[in-house]
Amino acid sequence: MAIFKTMDPAHRRYVIRTNLFLAGYVAVNVAAIFGAFDEIIGESAGVFLGLAVAALIAGQLWATMSLMNESDEFVRALTAKRFIAASGLAMALFSAWGFVESYGNAPHAPGWLIYPLFWGLFGLVSPFLKSSR
Amino acid sequence: MRNRLRDLRTGRGWTQEQLGQALGVSRQAVNALETEKHDPSLDLAYRIAVMFGRPVEDIFDNPHA
Repeated sequence: MAIFKTMDPAHRRYVIRTNLFLAGYVAVNVAAIFGAFDEIIGESAGVFLGLAVAALIAGQLWATMSLMNESDEFVRALTAKRFIAASGLAMALFSAWGFVESYGNAPHAPGWLIYPLFWGLFGLVSPFLKSSR
Repeated sequence: MRNRLRDLRTGRGWTQEQLGQALGVSRQAVNALETEKHDPSLDLAYRIAVMFGRPVEDIFDNPHA
């Protein structure tokens, strides 16, 4: 809470928005794991459940774009740099895994893994990318 | 970009937070300018120049000169 109070308004809004979208993401998936959507999973209606989770991911990405839009030029440039590095690495790693699946019989990795992979990589690259240049 | 921002700021007894608020940027942005991790836009460079009442060239070294 002390860290939250020291943040500028743009970061405070980002934290609130991110927590809301991630809470929804976790809630839907936990509910699915505990059988709340068993009647529609595997049926055509299950598509809407998948799209609902995807909408929450899109919302979180909007929160990140809003942070960049509402921040000063340094935070904007630094966030963009980290975002590009993490998304590039996530695409490269996930594509590599896809080819290993196709050509090397590696176990199947579901597509939704790219989202947590992206944010994990974002956290990993951030300490190394501290300059806007 | 080499600059004299830290000297000018501390000369006035301001914290990075205070200078950031006066310029409308974050403390992180002021720190990044002082540690040469960020080259300011022309707009921000002029705002800093006005804040300290000096020409831009007195605060930021021209790397092409």
